[in-house]
Amino acid sequence: MASGNMKDIKRRIKSVQSTMQITKAMELVASSKMRRAKERALAARPYFNTMYETITRLAAATRDGDSIYTRHREVKNSLYLVIAGDRGLAGGYNANLFKLAAAQMAGKNAQVITIGKKAQEHYAKRPWPVVSDYPGIAETMRISDTHPIVHDLLSLFRDGKVDEVFLCYTEFISPLQQDAKCIQLLPASFERAEQEKPAGPQVLTEYDPSPEAVFDAIIPEYLYGVLYGATVESFCSEQSARRMAMEAASDNAGEMIENLNLSYNRARQAAITQEITEIVAGSGEVGA
Amino acid sequence: MATFHLKVLTTERCFFDDEVEQIVVRTTQGDAGILPNHIPYTAALGIGGLTIIQNGAERVAAIAGGFVDVSKEQTVVLARTCEWADEIDINRAREAAERARQKLQQKASEHEQDVAQVKLKKAVNRMRIAGEK
Repeated sequence: MASGNMKDIKRRIKSVQSTMQITKAMELVASSKMRRAKERALAARPYFNTMYETITRLAAATRDGDSIYTRHREVKNSLYLVIAGDRGLAGGYNANLFKLAAAQMAGKNAQVITIGKKAQEHYAKRPWPVVSDYPGIAETMRISDTHPIVHDLLSLFRDGKVDEVFLCYTEFISPLQQDAKCIQLLPASFERAEQEKPAGPQVLTEYDPSPEAVFDAIIPEYLYGVLYGATVESFCSEQSARRMAMEAASDNAGEMIENLNLSYNRARQAAITQEITEIVAGSGEVGA
Repeated sequence: MATFHLKVLTTERCFFDDEVEQIVVRTTQGDAGILPNHIPYTAALGIGGLTIIQNGAERVAAIAGGFVDVSKEQTVVLARTCEWADEIDINRAREAAERARQKLQQKASEHEQDVAQVKLKKAVNRMRIAGEK
């Protein structure tokens, strides 16, 4: 009986140990992937900052002749771009994002474009119609990967099939903190705080061929950029969420192994004690 | 000779960041030359070349998409893709051109045709820039 118990415990220790090996490996993989993704996100940052500055200035210059991309219309249909992970086992990463997206979409006539395998699986079973899916692009994301997505959403927007476009992604704040966020892409608003305007005479900028034409040409460029940035950042968040989850799992596994070792030793001692008692009892009987 | 500060940024890297004497860049309206003390100017870029003249020497890069923004302090070129002439993989460009041509032969949707057209233009541009050097 006692030896059977010991065998059971031994088996459990082995299984927990092999699980721990897997979680440990996943933790290491996630942290190296995160490092690479972070570098990519940082390399792209000056580009986007400059882009954003230019576009705000442009928006201010074209305020009179408004563009179809900035004009607000009556909202009948909304489009949501949801960027989630390609794999699970990343703690609350995917769930948090879907929860936020669902809260945002509540009460709206929403359609969805998904990026990431998990988002695809999630929305396949939900009542919201899915316009298109883009699974498995986040890890090797290139700016050209965003072109078909932006083409999709711009054509829907231009044809009046959707009246506003939102983007749900996960912002990477630190390796320990990631927040799901939802921002409006279209109609775009680039309101600059009034006090930011430089005092004195403003230098007139020449736009070739016209501010409106330049603005309309830059908007897709801007969307490519935003989408690329958001996807890279989401991927970074996914990896750090996974790293954290796997770290916790490895810690728990370690604790379990410790406890099981304790029980194993107890069972072993109990077995030895019992054996001694049996021998002593037996020898006493023989001697008498 | 007078110089001005030029920054060329792509999403992947800071491509160029230095003082230059002159640049020529292909906008949607055609080539535009920019010299020091240019007035503030913004234009969207087409598919073509970017010529940078620095210390009398000329360097050429292939550029596609993005925009150029000239302000008093500096000139910024935000490019979707940008490569120096000597970085271009000429074989890859040739293959891409071939693929795009085949795609154009097939009866594809309008969007696919457009995409193939742009791809072809980019590949031809790369070949031209690489060959020019």
